[in-house]
Amino acid sequence: MSLRLKLLLLAAATLVLPWAGCRYAQEMESALREGEQDSLLAVAQTIAASLQGRGDLLYREPPARNPAAAADEPPSTPPPPAAGPYDLRPILLPAAPFIDGYPDEWPQHSSAWQSFGRGPHHFAILSGVFERMLYVLLDVHDRHFVFDAPGANALDPQTFGDRVWLGFDAPDGTPNQVFLAAAGPGSITGRRILTGEYGQQSAVVEPRIIGAWQPAPQGYRMELRVPLSMLGEHFGVLIDDRDARGALPVSYGTLHSDTLQPAGRLIAASPELTGYLARFIQPGLRLSVAATDGRPLARADALDERATLGPQRGILAQLYRRFVDRPGAHQPIDAAASIYDLERRQVIGSLQVTQTQDRWLTLRDRALTRMLNKTLIISAAAVIAIVWFAGRLALRLSRLRAASESALTRDGLVTTFAETHARDELGDVARAFSRLLGRLGEYTSYLRTLAGKLAHEIRTPLTIVRSSLENLEAERLSDSAGVYLARAREGTERLNAILLAMGAATRVEEAIGSAERLRFDLGPVIVSAVSAYRMAFAQRRFTMALPDGPLWIQGAPDLLVQLLDKLIENAVDFSAPGATILVRLRHEPETLVLEVDNPGPPLSAATQGRLFESLWQSRPGPDSRLHFGLGLYIVRLIAESHGGSVCASSLPEDAGARFTVRLPA
Amino acid sequence: MKRMVAIVEDEPAIRDNYAAAFAREGYLVRTYANRALAMSAFSARLPDLAVIDIKLDEEPEGGFELCRQLRALSAELPIIFLTARDSELDAVSGLRLGADDFLTKDLSLAHLIARVNALFRRVEALRRPLAAAQVVRRGALTLDSERMQVQWNGQVVLLSLTEFWIVHALARHPGHVKNRQQLMEAASVVLDDNTITSHVKRIRRKFQSLDASFDALQTVYGMGYRWVDSVQG
Repeated sequence: MSLRLKLLLLAAATLVLPWAGCRYAQEMESALREGEQDSLLAVAQTIAASLQGRGDLLYREPPARNPAAAADEPPSTPPPPAAGPYDLRPILLPAAPFIDGYPDEWPQHSSAWQSFGRGPHHFAILSGVFERMLYVLLDVHDRHFVFDAPGANALDPQTFGDRVWLGFDAPDGTPNQVFLAAAGPGSITGRRILTGEYGQQSAVVEPRIIGAWQPAPQGYRMELRVPLSMLGEHFGVLIDDRDARGALPVSYGTLHSDTLQPAGRLIAASPELTGYLARFIQPGLRLSVAATDGRPLARADALDERATLGPQRGILAQLYRRFVDRPGAHQPIDAAASIYDLERRQVIGSLQVTQTQDRWLTLRDRALTRMLNKTLIISAAAVIAIVWFAGRLALRLSRLRAASESALTRDGLVTTFAETHARDELGDVARAFSRLLGRLGEYTSYLRTLAGKLAHEIRTPLTIVRSSLENLEAERLSDSAGVYLARAREGTERLNAILLAMGAATRVEEAIGSAERLRFDLGPVIVSAVSAYRMAFAQRRFTMALPDGPLWIQGAPDLLVQLLDKLIENAVDFSAPGATILVRLRHEPETLVLEVDNPGPPLSAATQGRLFESLWQSRPGPDSRLHFGLGLYIVRLIAESHGGSVCASSLPEDAGARFTVRLPA
Repeated sequence: MKRMVAIVEDEPAIRDNYAAAFAREGYLVRTYANRALAMSAFSARLPDLAVIDIKLDEEPEGGFELCRQLRALSAELPIIFLTARDSELDAVSGLRLGADDFLTKDLSLAHLIARVNALFRRVEALRRPLAAAQVVRRGALTLDSERMQVQWNGQVVLLSLTEFWIVHALARHPGHVKNRQQLMEAASVVLDDNTITSHVKRIRRKFQSLDASFDALQTVYGMGYRWVDSVQG
């Protein structure tokens, strides 16, 4: 893994910041939620307390029963909502049903259907409240429905068909009876029978009570609407089922069939309760009051009204929410409180307060957005800073590496080194490298001059040995001693040859120093030298390729011939007898290029870099001749002293080696 | 009367070996370990020939100083320099100081004695009238092998013994190329190519100091050198 990548990963660790921010936001959300829950409970309790003892609102109990009447009654009297068999319990309708006799707008499969009657005479009733109206849906079982005679006097018993009676108290307790009679499918209107001053009766249209009649598979269906303001505590329905027009009816229902007084109550909240609740309503809030059996009585709903806290959320905020929101976070929270009677003995109902999350989610989002923006900016800045730093570090390291690599190939001649002026640890490394290479350089130059120095130091003791041996030769010696003497002489001669070879590079350096430079034509010099090689190395063939015209060059011809000598010696050593060695001279812009190609083994990559170093050789096996790896080093010395360069490469298809010397023309 | 050879050499073993060799040849030998000892002896009595090491004890170039002082005492006294290093050949032109030859210590004793003998012969020959038989003329060049003396256009070219033998080997057969090995044998020295090259250069310079147009000693690159008889041609 590169340093750059590691640092990048390190920078990525700063992304923990936004994560921690999200965690914080979630915790803040929990706290807010709890607080909101508490305050909601307080709201519920407050509203419930304000409804304490308000049976008139909850159940439209007559105000007379309280507070004055309540004081007279024994406190143990059970409160009115004790359920009776004929009590009607309207549900809270979500919308106003269209009065057409069809049950489409009513809740399907409601459990609030109530059935009355027995045997073939029975009906089901579903009642509901929406706003200030009571709606009633009657499903009457009747095999032979008889319409009223159309256009007839509603009071003429001979014209009577099936009728539906409504009996109820007015809010002030006055009994009321209204009947509905259909002359055909469609709308019908309630009518009440009034007894005039002189006992004459008349059927008066009660326009506030409207309904609709439609046939049903088992009988008929009637849908009614009655304003709650007309109704008191009690309410009942009576079916007059006649099998023929004007026949005696079979009456059944929740009215006393003789007095038409309701037997049961209408357990529905007063329309004022909704208005009362509406006073507490706020956007995003829903208040509902339920009876003791859990059936809702009234509701004030503003849940869908969006809280107008703060502006619409931005794209970023919406993005953040995806990370922060936990499942269920958008569920509304609710709180419930019981509503008691005046004496706080009995629960007469319950109040539930529901609130959407929007209110406090907006609060949270605002804080969250701000915090996440900040942490993201910080993270981004950290990542950018670290990437920049990593890039710089990698750059410096690669500079250092390049410097150390080039220092190695430059023969240890270290002049300047990258990064040595930096004050940090990298600078220390660079300085340490620099020192190391400096010492390496000293050591290398010591090694390079070692051969020369050694040759010089050995020469004096060798002279002692040789002169002693020569003196010994003059003595009279036995034959065997002469043999030993001859061997000793031979040994010293070899030693001397070694010393000469070892000092060769030093002498070349001296020769370079003292050589005279002149401007001369290199062509004839090369021609002459190559013709000499043809004689000297009869087992090799030499071909020459020279351009036309003079090849003027500034330099020392002796040294350049020596350079060629060494290249040819090398080419001969590494080629087989009979091989052809090619010497080529060519022009390049401002450069003369001398190439010597020999067939033979190609150069290995490891060899190429070191070929021209002092005391380095790659000869495959032992050789009768003395080699100190100085030949190509001398080539380099001479080439560089002429301002040129030398390099070696393998011939195409590894057919051999090529040595190229470039000299400024 | 025996000729007296003075050997000034700080290395006792070499000094004594040389002394033994010269004594065996019938010379009277005096050895000195340093310049002070040698000078005090020389001021009392001059030797017939002096062999001087360049480096004497603590003096890296004490031999040159001694040579200068000795030349002041006598202009004719043959002086041979000995050195352990080839480089000193170039560092100092011992011959500028008036030395007659300049040798490295890897020269064999036999060759050293041959040179000493040759120098004594030259001293004697210089005292005798010119023997025409020993003189070779090649154009402007006059080569006197008896006196080991070379003249160019009648002017004496001051060559060391080694240089004389190189010129001698080349000029006796003009046009023939002699390689470095042959020249080393002719001069009785074991040197490497670069040393031969510098000898040849020095010879050229000496001729050119008398005649700027001198180009009789030519390099045949890759082979060796040859003498070209320009005046004849």
